[in-house]
Amino acid sequence: MANEPLPPFSSSVRLKYVKLGYQYLVNHILTFILIPIIVGISIELARVGPDEILSLLRFLNDLDLIYVMSTLFLVIIVGTVYFMSRPRPVYLVDYACFRPKPNFRVPFSTFLEHARLVPQFDERTVRFQVKILERSGLGEETCLPPANHYIPPTCSMAAARSEAELVIFSAIDELLNKTGMRPKNIDILIVNCSLFSPTPSLSAMIVNKYKLRSNILSFNLSGMGCSAGLISLDLARDLLQAHGNSNALVVSTEIITPNYYLGKERAMLLPNCLFRMGAAAVLLSNCRRERSRAKYRLTHVVRTHKGADDAAYRCVFQEQDSEGLTGINLSKDLMAIAGDALKSNITTMGPLVLPASEQLLFLFSLIARKVFKAKWKPYIPDFRLAFEHFCIHAGGRAVIDELQKNLQLSDQHVEASRMALHRFGNTSSSSLWYELNYIESKGRMKKGDRVWMIGFGSGFKCNSAVWKCLKTIKTPVDGPWSTSIHRYPVDVPAVVKVL
Amino acid sequence: MDVLTTLTIIFLLYSLYLLYKSYKLKCSRNCYLVDYVCFKPSPDRQITTRKCGEIIERNKNLGLAEYKFLLKVIVNSGIGERTYGPRNIIEGREESPTLDDAIEEMDEFLNVCIHDLFVKTKISPRDVDVLVVNISTFCPAPSLASRIVHRYNMRDDVKTYSLSSMGCSATLVAIDVVQNIFKSGKKSLAVVITSESISPNWYSGNDKSMMLGNCLFRCGGSAMLLTNDPAMQAQAKMRLKCLVRTHIGANDDAFNSAVQKEDDMGRVGVHLSKDLPKAAMRAFTENLKRLLPKILPYREIALIAFHIVKQKLVQPNAKLNKVVAQINFKSGVDHFCLHTGGTAVIDAVRQALRLSEFDVEPARMTLHRWGNTSASSIWYVLGYMEAKKRLKKKDRVLMISFGSGFKCNSCLWEVTRDLGDGDVWEDCIKEYPPKTIVNPYLDKYGWVNEETEETFNREERIEAFKNSPW
Repeated sequence: MANEPLPPFSSSVRLKYVKLGYQYLVNHILTFILIPIIVGISIELARVGPDEILSLLRFLNDLDLIYVMSTLFLVIIVGTVYFMSRPRPVYLVDYACFRPKPNFRVPFSTFLEHARLVPQFDERTVRFQVKILERSGLGEETCLPPANHYIPPTCSMAAARSEAELVIFSAIDELLNKTGMRPKNIDILIVNCSLFSPTPSLSAMIVNKYKLRSNILSFNLSGMGCSAGLISLDLARDLLQAHGNSNALVVSTEIITPNYYLGKERAMLLPNCLFRMGAAAVLLSNCRRERSRAKYRLTHVVRTHKGADDAAYRCVFQEQDSEGLTGINLSKDLMAIAGDALKSNITTMGPLVLPASEQLLFLFSLIARKVFKAKWKPYIPDFRLAFEHFCIHAGGRAVIDELQKNLQLSDQHVEASRMALHRFGNTSSSSLWYELNYIESKGRMKKGDRVWMIGFGSGFKCNSAVWKCLKTIKTPVDGPWSTSIHRYPVDVPAVVKVL
Repeated sequence: MDVLTTLTIIFLLYSLYLLYKSYKLKCSRNCYLVDYVCFKPSPDRQITTRKCGEIIERNKNLGLAEYKFLLKVIVNSGIGERTYGPRNIIEGREESPTLDDAIEEMDEFLNVCIHDLFVKTKISPRDVDVLVVNISTFCPAPSLASRIVHRYNMRDDVKTYSLSSMGCSATLVAIDVVQNIFKSGKKSLAVVITSESISPNWYSGNDKSMMLGNCLFRCGGSAMLLTNDPAMQAQAKMRLKCLVRTHIGANDDAFNSAVQKEDDMGRVGVHLSKDLPKAAMRAFTENLKRLLPKILPYREIALIAFHIVKQKLVQPNAKLNKVVAQINFKSGVDHFCLHTGGTAVIDAVRQALRLSEFDVEPARMTLHRWGNTSASSIWYVLGYMEAKKRLKKKDRVLMISFGSGFKCNSCLWEVTRDLGDGDVWEDCIKEYPPKTIVNPYLDKYGWVNEETEETFNREERIEAFKNSPW
């Protein structure tokens, strides 16, 4: 370190200040233009004197009453039409995550012991799974459902249903308690669970348990992968635009029980190591009276589907191996495809959220590269100017690393994702809510903060949602992190030696 | 005061522009059905009476009691000889369906039907903005919606939704999703795909309540193109007037009337309980309560209100049966598309709405020709009406469907132009309605009813069946 030349201090600082000055100028351009105009008008008024102003007022007085009334009427009508045609705001009143009990824990030692005792796994398969687990970024407190604790795991439909009831009902119970919302007041119900879809649907199961109204609009989405939570949010938003004064309950979960892979295909063993039990229930509303207690407002949802591309489509694929066992095959190009899907997503997201300064720079760089064929690296807009917090789907350590690199985020920005992966594992579509809860539990969520949720899913989809915080969240926060937040953040080593 | 005048003019122009924009937005809130295509599987997938016998004979778990039960079910089902089944069942592999079997069954439908829809409507897949797929009992990863995006190379900002497990009424749920997206006013094109997956859901046990599904469900599917663009109004077939959804899952009996579970031996099947017809009627009544005020003409509503008030004054505690008996459902609806759940369902709805045989003929004939194709059945019924040239401009069509949970969904369409496209009924519409419906199953398997446990010899009967000429 002593031999390395020191970075040229002065030039880097100068550049930084230039960049800051440029950003400030462009983002506040309107203010800068308006100031001289206001100054000009006030000077003009001062010069003109009070008499002219009085004559102006007398002129207005002389106008016909009809003229004044009709103008006023027109103003009111146009104002009403304008306000009525604006999209309804979508508020997040509150949300609750499933809190797994410690008896569902699967520490590495348990995982290893069970894997060794399952008759279907040979030593090679066990070693592979443990190797993955060591490098996964998961901790010792992640949880699997009761059926997976049996040796071998019992993957019956009854067991899957009881896992669904356990995770979904406890999340919804907690949400209803927190918000004081009566089940009869829920107008829209959307449930997403990718790999378990019994008849009657999980949404019907919720309607039955909580005795929801008979004119409820219920939807059950399935097979849409780990980004399905954001797809449900998109659907909820569309429904809340069409129906005024409504409350929507969105439940995101993944049921692990029926999807344990008991074969030998390596690419299909990965989900065994990464997926864990979790669920989240979110209450959205467009009622004006909920505004005062709502935590967030949904500002944008952008969805990108790369299914037209072969490699992207085959990247996360459910298939049967040579022995006829069903499992999810994760391809090796997952990272590259995720990066590509993210690029498409931010191309749409960028203009919606980035400040003008970054957009101009991006446009300038794009023109230079495409029109003038300049050999510049593509300019990556600085998303840290648009968002204070990032919730990246905790798909695995590699996904978070890749996104951190792509978006040039600091370690603190991705801390929520890494810690959620460590504490809860990959809980699929509900992981984003565990991460949001982490940020709140750390006391980092302040009024006006913007949150970017990014989810990836099979297909290949990249979906993102932008929230704006409406009130500062005070600690301590009652949630899944209540018992463990004081121990976080932890340093997650690259490899945790088990074998 | 030029400045004032200029400002006023600018303000007026802007207000006019805002009003014009909101008017355009309102016009774009209608949901038009541009066209729809039903799926006709290849002829080698037909389940004839003989094929049916072979399939039943293969199942070693079934005895005489089960045979009698199955015969009764099939005879009473109203299903004919030309319905279609999936390849794995026809080829004898129903006990061990693979993922590939299910995907192949879906591919045969997706590759043909959606292609035909695009060709018919002259729309490119890249113009599609919304894709909603509902296939109840099969949800692979990636979803079938992704499979369609991949196969037809759709845009990367297409909104896909994959609905699952919502039963036989799921097609109207899909249309509800599309309708709500359309209400935002932005001009979009939506494709709705409806089908059912039979291959992975064969029940190989002997629990009677779970064997019903095997007898009734058949392969079919449909693809619909919807839009809210007023410019496509001339090309469109129908316009959606209202959609009502009812979910009585809060009632435990209704919720448990159709449940997928394992039987005593651990085999998975859909258990249909005896309370199913009652649950269906309850859901239907709830649905009608909300639907009728939206579809009946004002005169009829006023008349009903008058009768209710009159009855309440005369006999405050009496039930409203007499009033219900006087409602003329046909005053607000010209054609009825009933879900072909089975003869019992059609008869029950016919009785409740006091419809004529002519009104329920499309549903009965669809059941006979295609079987219960689950959610897509109402589109086959609509196809029958169209092939028979019954649908004229300004006619109103009511679609009613039921689903597990228990749900009853209904919607009213208004026909926007005279329709006459035969589609999948083209080749056989002349044979319907048939002059006589001699039940082929009763004819060939009626001997089952004469046998008793003592006289029944399974091996002998199977030999005789295998050697029979038909």
